[in-house]
Parts: sequence; C-alpha cells; structure tokens
Amino acid sequence: MRCSWAESGGSVGEPPAGPAPGAFARAWAKALSGTSYLPMTHAQLEALLQRLTDQLAEALRTEPLDLRAGHRVASELVAAHIASAEALGRTVEVIQLRLVRDLDLVADDTADRMARLLAAIATGYARALRDRTLDEQEAIRRATLTARADAERALRASEARFRHQATHDPLTDLPNRTLFAERLAAVLDGSTSGVHRVGLCFLDIDRFKRINDSYGHQIGDRALVAAAHRLSRAVEPHLVARLGGDAFVILVERSTGTGDVLAVAESALAALAEPVLVGGHDCTVTASVGIVERRVADTSPDDLMRAAGSTLHWAKTAGGAGWAMYDAERDEREQARQALSAAIPGGLERGEFYLDYQPLTSLQDGSVLGVEALVRWRHPQLGVLSPDSFIGLAEETGLIVPLGAWVLAEACREAVGWSTATGEPPYVSVNLAVRQLRRPGLVQEVRSLLRRTGLPPNRLQLEITESMMMGGAEEPVRTLRALADLGVRIAIDDFGTGYSNLAYLRDLPVTELKVAGEFVRGLRAPEAADERILASLVSLAHALDLTVTAEGVETVGQAERLRAIGCDAGQGWHFGRPAPADHILARIR
Amino acid sequence: MQRPDWAPETIDVERPSVARMYDYYLGGSHNFAVDRAAAQAMVAAVPEAPLMAQANRAFLRRAVQFLTNAGIRQFLDIGSGIPTVGNVHEIAQRHAPDSRVVYVDVDPVAVAHSREILAGTEGATVVQEDLRHPERILAHPDVRANLDFSQPVAVLVVAVLHFVGDHDRPAEVLRTLRAALAPGSHLVLSQASDDGRSDAERAEAQKVYQRTDSPLWVRSRAELTAFFDGFELVDPGVVWVPQWRPETPDSAEDAERAVFLGGVGRLGG
Ligand SMILES: C[S@@+](CC[C@H](N)C(=O)[O-])C[C@H]1O[C@@H](n2cnc3c(N)ncnc32)[C@H](O)[C@@H]1O
Repeated sequence: MRCSWAESGGSVGEPPAGPAPGAFARAWAKALSGTSYLPMTHAQLEALLQRLTDQLAEALRTEPLDLRAGHRVASELVAAHIASAEALGRTVEVIQLRLVRDLDLVADDTADRMARLLAAIATGYARALRDRTLDEQEAIRRATLTARADAERALRASEARFRHQATHDPLTDLPNRTLFAERLAAVLDGSTSGVHRVGLCFLDIDRFKRINDSYGHQIGDRALVAAAHRLSRAVEPHLVARLGGDAFVILVERSTGTGDVLAVAESALAALAEPVLVGGHDCTVTASVGIVERRVADTSPDDLMRAAGSTLHWAKTAGGAGWAMYDAERDEREQARQALSAAIPGGLERGEFYLDYQPLTSLQDGSVLGVEALVRWRHPQLGVLSPDSFIGLAEETGLIVPLGAWVLAEACREAVGWSTATGEPPYVSVNLAVRQLRRPGLVQEVRSLLRRTGLPPNRLQLEITESMMMGGAEEPVRTLRALADLGVRIAIDDFGTGYSNLAYLRDLPVTELKVAGEFVRGLRAPEAADERILASLVSLAHALDLTVTAEGVETVGQAERLRAIGCDAGQGWHFGRPAPADHILARIR
Repeated sequence: MQRPDWAPETIDVERPSVARMYDYYLGGSHNFAVDRAAAQAMVAAVPEAPLMAQANRAFLRRAVQFLTNAGIRQFLDIGSGIPTVGNVHEIAQRHAPDSRVVYVDVDPVAVAHSREILAGTEGATVVQEDLRHPERILAHPDVRANLDFSQPVAVLVVAVLHFVGDHDRPAEVLRTLRAALAPGSHLVLSQASDDGRSDAERAEAQKVYQRTDSPLWVRSRAELTAFFDGFELVDPGVVWVPQWRPETPDSAEDAERAVFLGGVGRLGG
C-alpha cells in the first residue's frame, strides 16, 4: 500500500504554526528517522528541527560565537526524545555536511566556528543524554522499590485478612476458639502479661435449639448474630468469643475479684434478655453463665475452661436464665464422684464388687426368714465402699443397670447353695433400681437367672421403692405382675417415707412392706405417735394380706414393741449387721 | 501459615520484564541489566527488533490520533507498559484536553512507575490488572470512576496479545470487553506475527521470551482478524503496522519487516 493517511481536516498531527521547513530541516529529519522512537508526526519533527536550525544559523552568524546556542539545541533535542547515540551521530554529520551550504553561511572562519559549534552540540547532547539516562535509571529503581513496598503491604494486608479469617467466627465475626485460646494463654502467662487475676464467663443460650426448630436455621443464625453483637457491645472492652453453636465465652482480664466478673456476667445476661425480633419472629432468649475468677498464678487455660464448663452446667441444671459462681468444694465433690462412677465398669470387670447380707428375722420365733443382699465395693484405692457412696452415682449415670444385674445374678448364685439344718433356707432380698424395672427384658432376665441357678422363685425377693410405682405408669406394674407370676416375692422398700398410699398396694402383686427405720427410731417412748402409726400400718397391711418387716431395729426394746404391735419381722443391728453369707448361715445352723 | 492465594507476587527484578525490554527497544533507560541482556539477545536473533518496537509505538500514536479525530475521549489502554515517550494521554490530551485514559498493566513495576509519572495529571490513572481477567478490569473501581461505559471508549490492546496464550482464551477476553462497550467504541489491536519469518528466527525469539514471565504467542493475520469479531474494521484493516495510515508514503516501505500486525475496529449499532 503506497498511499498516505495523513490527517485531513482535523488539527491532530498538523505541524505547529511556524515557518515551513527548509531543505536543511527536512534533510535533518530524514537523517533522524529510525534512530529511536520519536513521539511525534514527521511534520512536527520537521517543524521542531526548523526552529533549531534557525537557532544554529543565528549562532553562526553572530559575533562572538555563542557556544551556549549549541548546548541549548542539544538539550532541546534530548528533551524532545531525540535521544540516542545514533541521533547525535546523524546530527553532527548532517550539520557538518549541509548546514553551511544549505543556509549559505560561508565566512572566513566558518570551518573554525563550525568545529566549535559541533563540539558544543556534542558536549551538550552527551550531558543531556547522561542526565536523562541517570534520571530514568533512578525512576525505574524508585518504581521497583515502590512496587516492592506495595506488594509487601498487600501481602501483609492479605495475611491480616487471612489471620482474621483464621481467628474469627464467620457467622458472627466474633473471635473464635483459636483467638480466645491465644489470648487466654497470653493472659495466663502472668510473667509477661502483668495480669494478676482473670475471670471467665462461660455463656450458653438456654434452649436455643427451640428457635432453630420453630423458625428454621436462617432465623436461628440471624438470632445468633444479633445475640453475639449485643453481647460484645454489652461487655466491651472484654473479649467475647464464640466457641461454636450457641456457646460464648467472655474473658475478663485484669479482674480485681469475683465482683468484676459477676458484673460482666450480669450485663451480658441483661443484654441478652432484651426482646429481639428476627424476621418478625420473637427470638428473645435467656442464657446461663458459669463464672470463674482466679489468680493467674493458680490456674491454667485447661483448668479455667473446665471449671467454667462445670459451673455453666450448674447454672443450667439450676434452671437456666442466670449465673452460677464456681465453688471449689462442690467441684471437687463432683469430680470425685465423676471419677468414682467412671471406675464402676472396670470394678465390675475386675470383680471388685461383692455382697454382704443382713438377716430379716421373724419377730415371732427369732428364725431368719430372709437376708437382704447389700453390695460392697472393694475399691483398690479407697478401700471398701458402702452402697451409699456409689449407688446414687450409678443410678445417675445408668451404670446401675449392669451393676444391678450383677448383684441380682450374684445373689441368686450364692443363695442357691445355702442350706440350713432347720428346714427352709432364707430367701434372698435384692434391691431393684427404677432403671432396671423400666428396662424391657427384666422379666426374661429373672426367669433365665432362676432357671440357670435353680433357685426356687419364692427364695428370691425383689425390693422396689414406693416412688417407683408412682405416676401411674402401666409398664412397671405389668412387669411386677409378670415377676410375681414367676413366683418371686415383691417387697416395697422404705415404706412410709414417701407417698405411702396404701390404696395402690391393693392393685399391686406385693407380698411385703418394709417399714422405714424412722418409725422404728420413734418407738423409744411408750405410746408415742409413731407407735400408733406403726400399729395401724401393720393392721392395714395385714388386712391387705401383706407381711410387715421393720427396718433399722437397734434395741431389744424396739424389737419387743414391734412384736407387741404385731409386726412380722425385723431387720437391723439388733438382729445382725451385714456380713458375708457363711457368717449368717453359720449362726442359723 | 500457608500463604493465601490472593497475596501478590513479590517483585522479582532478577527476571527480565517484557515491559522494560520494550522500553529498551524504544531507547529508554527504564531498565536493568537483566532486561538489557535479554533485549540484546533478542536483537541478536532478530536485528530489527528495536525498529519493530518503534514501528508499533508509532502505530499506537497514529491510532490514538485517529481515534481522537473520530471524537473518542475515553481510552482503556491494557498492557500499557512503562510510560516512556508518547503515552496515550499525552497524544490524546494534546488535541483533546478533556480525554480520559486508564492504563492497565500486570507488571507491578510498570504500574508503580506509571503512577509516579501520572501523579498530578488530570484525566489519567493506572490500575494493576491482568488482561486475562477482563471482568476484573471492567469492575475495577478506578476504571469505573474514570470511564463512562455508556459513552464510546477505545480499548487498546497493543503489543500485548502475543503474551496471552490460546489456553487463556484471548477471543473470549475480547468478547467480554466488547460486551461492556457502547456503540461507537473502538478496539485497537496489534501483536507479533510470524507471517513471513524463518523457522530459525521464530525459534530464537521464542527462546529469548522463554526467559521472561511472558513467552511469545505469535499469530497469523487471519487469527488477528478474527479477534475483531463484532467490530467493523477501519480501513485499511489488519496490516503490518507501518502500513496502517502512514503519515508519509515512504514510512510504509519494508513494512513486513515490522513483524507487528495491527488494526482498528469500530463497534457499530
Ligand atoms: C510490549 S509492551 C506494550 C506497551 C504498549 N501497549 C505499546 O504498545 O507501546 C507489553 C506490555 O504488556 C504487559 N502485559 C503482558 N501481559 C499482560 C497481561 N496479561 N495483562 C496486562 N498486561 C500485560 C507487559 O507488562 C508490558 O508492559
């Protein structure tokens, strides 16, 4: 393509106003093309060079020769980006060859003046080019430093963002467990933190699941966010972290005593208790708080968190919507119990449990009618433990089921081997826990136990408490009937301490009432109220065809009175303390 | 801690940068020894490399002048490089002072340098972004603040596409940019081509640019023409850059030695 697209009409690309370039300026422009990138149109270049040509001509004509003109032209060239070694060479060449001729500047000392002018141009050009090069080198170095600083700042910012994400809960933007653990560890390092006392409020929203269940998780999440924000605002500047779910923890640094931490807990509870609407739903909540406050030197993060967790549990079991303060004694007690209950399964496996028996003696003829099996634990560290120290625990944790099963089986196994010189050997009476009674399969268990051991059913008595029969549950009653149908004796234990409703006994397959020791203790004074109560109890029981055994009989006097009242049997120290079976059997023989 | 993926690269001046090599070809001194060594190796392989760069830069100048005459006042110059001489805003603002230019480059040093040069300049700004993420360029707040996409915008992608491999879908990149433009907008493209080159020259050039972060993706005239999909090519179409509206007839001589093909397209409608 050989045509020119030179601009037409517009101002763009047109040479600035000035004299039309002469032959020399045009030749100069041609010589320069291709030496380096020239950021202008060819016409602009020619116009520029025409101006410089005029300056050079003026200098050559003027006496004395002003060398500054050469410097000026050179720096103008460089400033116009005509700035390369090639451009200087071509410039020197074209001036030397054509300037004098084209402009008709011949004079006597032309050669001399031209040499000095060219020297000035070359000097000025080299100087300007050097300055320009140094400036550009400096600029690019500076740009590199700036870019590096920018990159590092951006890296730090992104690391900060990354760190924020790693240490905050995405839902509420509260600090998360990680950040909380870091802060707590730092605070507890009293040597560096300078903090002497520290407090924790372990907070959990009461029945939060209800909100999720009724309004869905979206509303639930928003309610959590709302709670989180109110919480952190209420206890500012203390750190509030979300530990997950609806559990939060507040770190009270530099506490001066429990009062400080309690005040924080109360503000937290107050803030949460304010009514909240989320998506038109009432999402007002209450919370429970466990408070721990301690000397930094006396605790560790794990210790504090565990204590706060237990304390929160106390607040929850007390009904929620409030706080509980850590209590070391209570905690120790609970921990000991915890440890004890955790050891029950191992104890069962290692055969650490055994049975003692206490006789149930006839008040008519002094014969031993039966014996009550009482479980003992020969604890490797704590020595022999009586049932009061572990049965309650076992009942709470459900371990009563395997333990009770073991007691039942062991009692049957031992009882089947008992014999007496005088006829019928005593029956064995075993306590049944409510969990055992409620479990399906108890009847089957007892049936196969009797079959396996060969113990006659009437030599087994199961003791239940009145409270187990309360509430009109049908299932336990059906179980009792089935047990009674097997031929097993059923006794109501501790009668008189609870509801003591005789009416319901009519409908139960009960054979015996064991009257609580409290009544027997009241028998010291003749004609005491307790005696009259006992007397009517006995006659009522007899009317229902039940035998009556009095528990806790400690003196001859009590035994006498009980016999006088018509009570059938007695149990207690007066008749014999709990002892291994062979001791008791030896006494009978 | 693992470095998050949005963290920027640190600045590595041990590797030659194509922006600073280009500055060297143009006669600038905004470059380091590594850049000069790479550029000199390129010159050894393709002796007219500096002339190619000059011819490309001159094409850019003529294209901007053409656009300014066509009434364009907004420019998005992607892969703008180190502002050496003859920057888009200088060319445009000389004749239309209300012209606004946003420069975009991936090279952080080029961007830092541009920022310094542009400090205090009305109507020109610079953004660090990658042509391969056109949606990020279009969404960038500084781009949004300086350019009104309801009015015509000229998008310049000059001597950059040969750094974008086919796997980075250059056609899709251009389509995304086009979709953001109002009728009357323009696209200016130029890129290295191996049309008429010997295999030896091709291999040498590849070797040089393998040292940089940006290996060369040369393309044919047909491929470059296809990039103008959706635009009407302005006369004379896709040509060797010296042939694109030369100011004097002889400046278009030996045009195919220029290596760069270029063209300007207009968005109709
Ligand atoms: C040869 S220079 C071209 C400069 C200017 N456009 C010109 O033609 O005069 C190429 C520039 O593109 C930049 N570049 C390369 N790949 C890029 C990408 N993917 N996104 C943005 N800029 C890129 C380089 O950093 C360099 O500054």
